[in-house]
Amino acid sequence: MRRSYLGEFEEIVLLTVAVLGEGAYGVAITDELDRQTGRSVSISAVHAALHRLEEKGMLRSHMGEATAERGGRRKRLFTVTVLGSRTLHDIRAVREQLWKAILPHSLPAISL
Amino acid sequence: MKCSDSPSSRPPRWADCLLERFCAPHLLEEIQGDLHERFQRNAALLGERSARWHYVREVLSFMRPFAWKRKKEPYSSPSYLNTDMLRNYVKIAWRNLAQNRSFSAINILGLALGMACSLLIFLWIQDEYSVDAYHANGPRLYVVMERQMYDGKTEASPGTPALLPDELKRRFPEIAYAAGLSWEEKHTFAVGDKLNKEKGRSVGADWLRMFTVPLLAGSAETALNAPNNLVISRTLAENYFGSPQAAIGRSIRLDNQQDYQVTAVFETIPENSSLKYDYLLSWQDFLRRNEWLKEWGNHVPQTYVQLQTERNGQPANADRLEAKLKTFLYEVSPSLKKGTFDIHLFLQPFQEVYLHSNYKNGYPDGGRIEYVRLFGIVAVFILLIACINFMNLATARSVKRAREVGIRKVVGAARGLLFGQFMGEALLLTAIALVLALGVVWLLLPVFNELTEKNITLHPNQGTFWITILIITMLTGLIAGSYPALFLSSLNPIRVLKNSLQLGAGARLFRQGLVVFQFVLSTLLIIGMIVIYRQMQYIQTKNLGFDRENLIYLHAEGGVADRYAAFRQELLKSSGIQSVTYMDGTPTNGFGSTGNVHWPGKDPNTNIQFQFSTVDYDFTKTLKLNVTGRDFSPAYGLDSLGYLINKTAARRIGYTDPIGKPLTLWGQQGTIIGIVDDYHMASMHVAIEPLIVKLNPKVSGKTIIVRTQPGQSQEALASLETLWRTFNPKIPFTYRFADEEFQKLYRREMTVGSLTGYFAILAIFISCLGLFGLAAFMAEQRTKEIGVRKVLGASVVSIMSLLSGNFLKLVIIAIVIASPIAGYAMNQWLQDFTYKISLEWWMFAGAGGLAVFIALVTVSFHSIRAALMNPVKTLRSE
Repeated sequence: MRRSYLGEFEEIVLLTVAVLGEGAYGVAITDELDRQTGRSVSISAVHAALHRLEEKGMLRSHMGEATAERGGRRKRLFTVTVLGSRTLHDIRAVREQLWKAILPHSLPAISL
Repeated sequence: MKCSDSPSSRPPRWADCLLERFCAPHLLEEIQGDLHERFQRNAALLGERSARWHYVREVLSFMRPFAWKRKKEPYSSPSYLNTDMLRNYVKIAWRNLAQNRSFSAINILGLALGMACSLLIFLWIQDEYSVDAYHANGPRLYVVMERQMYDGKTEASPGTPALLPDELKRRFPEIAYAAGLSWEEKHTFAVGDKLNKEKGRSVGADWLRMFTVPLLAGSAETALNAPNNLVISRTLAENYFGSPQAAIGRSIRLDNQQDYQVTAVFETIPENSSLKYDYLLSWQDFLRRNEWLKEWGNHVPQTYVQLQTERNGQPANADRLEAKLKTFLYEVSPSLKKGTFDIHLFLQPFQEVYLHSNYKNGYPDGGRIEYVRLFGIVAVFILLIACINFMNLATARSVKRAREVGIRKVVGAARGLLFGQFMGEALLLTAIALVLALGVVWLLLPVFNELTEKNITLHPNQGTFWITILIITMLTGLIAGSYPALFLSSLNPIRVLKNSLQLGAGARLFRQGLVVFQFVLSTLLIIGMIVIYRQMQYIQTKNLGFDRENLIYLHAEGGVADRYAAFRQELLKSSGIQSVTYMDGTPTNGFGSTGNVHWPGKDPNTNIQFQFSTVDYDFTKTLKLNVTGRDFSPAYGLDSLGYLINKTAARRIGYTDPIGKPLTLWGQQGTIIGIVDDYHMASMHVAIEPLIVKLNPKVSGKTIIVRTQPGQSQEALASLETLWRTFNPKIPFTYRFADEEFQKLYRREMTVGSLTGYFAILAIFISCLGLFGLAAFMAEQRTKEIGVRKVLGASVVSIMSLLSGNFLKLVIIAIVIASPIAGYAMNQWLQDFTYKISLEWWMFAGAGGLAVFIALVTVSFHSIRAALMNPVKTLRSE
């Protein structure tokens, strides 16, 4: 396999983990996604995506500290691996290349 | 896992429990933590109610594979299907089989016999169900039957007016086709020099369109359109003309009278058809030959209809049609409804008729289906008995395998694995038994076919056969193996390895229960066998009222009928002949019944159906019937107006001294000249009905009855044949013995009787195999005890009774349980007979005695051996 395929949602979750840096865990990621994209995502979908990304080797995780509101349970904190980072860069490169290839005015104009 | 205890402002507990239950343990902490964190925030933002609601939704949303999938154990136990383990299982199983040869043989033999028996029964049942199932229009075919109400009774009868089929088709748009079917006709076929009696039927023109009777030549549309058309089977076509194609258009002379043209040839009727015929004649021809059937009052041939397919592709509704048909007969013939006599038409699906052909009070009530069910149950019983053998021996011998189980458990075998192992062993054994069983079935099939009058073959290329075998094998293996596997896999390894294994009372009780169950089933079958045998013997030896020995039936036809007086005279002069007469039908098969009988003082509202027969002189002499008054005699000029009646008829008519009293039959007034003793005109299933016998000089179509000198039937037959040839050169000589005709009435009961006998023997044999094995094991277990007892002075007899007593107790309990069940079941069976034996205590005692005796013999082989053993040998080693 040349490169693991990333779904759109997975890509966004991966990016969000990168955005959050040290404090990336389930609830924080969900909230951040909510804020950044405006879509309401379910926490289970986020967990599933995180799980898959870790299986694919794009994320690494360790258990963090416990807090009272979590009933004394620890968080699982995620960080992007080298592979994850490369994948994100690859995707971005492809996108930019494509954007550059688009002739001016070939996309219909949109008014913001 | 215990659900977390929660203080106030907590998510719903049940949702938490649910999460803890389904979520994989290694994910639980983070997921639950995240959910709780969100809950706390939601509670602060939206209120507790809303937060709880959200929480539940979120928990439910985690029901997805990633969350419930468990992490793999780092040291997973080898899979059950690991090749090394499999090899080990097979090896151990094989060593166990080889080491305990006798036990393995008992198990395999028992299972094989049980399976062979149930396979045979399965084949038979399958064959029964396949009868008439092959007709493409099957679900739309119905038989039109009559429900006659008279004399306080309701009876169903297949006989209908011969004009009914065409009339029904004309009147009811729901009926697509309708055809009549005659009784079985025998005609002599003559083509050139070839001369043979053939059996066939007359049918309506629609017959070939309704039923799947593939034509090899000719067309179904026109084959039976004209009166002189004849449709023959491939067998006949090949016999007479060489090939089906060569037969078309050729003519065949029937009964040396009339020529018929072959218009079509059909494929010979398959074995699994309830209606068999070698040729078909047209309905027009049938009515021409039987003018009397053109009247609506005579109900003899059968009527079949095929329902129209409606626009939605479904057949027309039979119930609605039946409601419309019900009173149809009075519409066409108002005279049929008279006094208390009432008659309705009803429909029975054609494909059901074969298995459901008994009627009670005018409605279908069982038939062959009862035997199908009965033998189905017997098959299951016998298989169960064989399975129980296996269960018993395996658990009794579990002590021997206990150590193996202990070691396996210690080195890490889970219970499931052990269960699988022992199940596998049971299945292996069943598979070996299956091979044997198939051999047995293959060997026994010809004998079985002869016994059941079937033509069953094994179809190894038929999918259903193998599927059935697979199912039977799996089922047997699972039933036989389940208990031993559960039991063995539950053993506690510490106790086993400490050698302190105590088999609980529960296991022993269970085993004893199984033995009792086996013997209950065996005793049931033995009692059944005895009762059926006694009933058959009763039928065989019951005085029929006439002497059925040394009677020969001939069919009156051709020259014999035309020149009967000469034939009779010649015959009486020949050697070996005692007397001759003729009658309608035969003594054991009533010819017909009529309600058209009157006498002075008859209640106009009663309608008594009288059996009737018209006969020749010497009727009572030839049948050896006891007669009060006198028989017909040429000495009395007016005997054509004299009637003989039987005692039942005399009772129904109600004369105190009937002889010389007037009686009117079919509008002809005459007098009663004699009263014959009641004789059985039908099988013992039905009561003797009132009978009227009348003299009739018309011979053709009747049965000539010849009484031969005892012990001279060979000479008599020889002289009959020579005489027949001189009178009927163009008709082959055929005859029947009265005794054989009588036996035919009970063919089904005979088959059931002998099958029950074989099954009973098989059941008791398999049960005893198991008992034999158990006894061997017990004797082996108690060798030391017996040695000590002998040293202390126990006698051989006391040791024998010690060992046998236990088993005897079980068998006796079984007999006590089986007797009332058998009593009830056999009483039900006997209900079908009007003339029957009563159940007597000795039948049960005999069956019980037999069971006890057989069990005792089986057990004593081992108990004697154990009792005779030298105690020094058994006690020497410790």
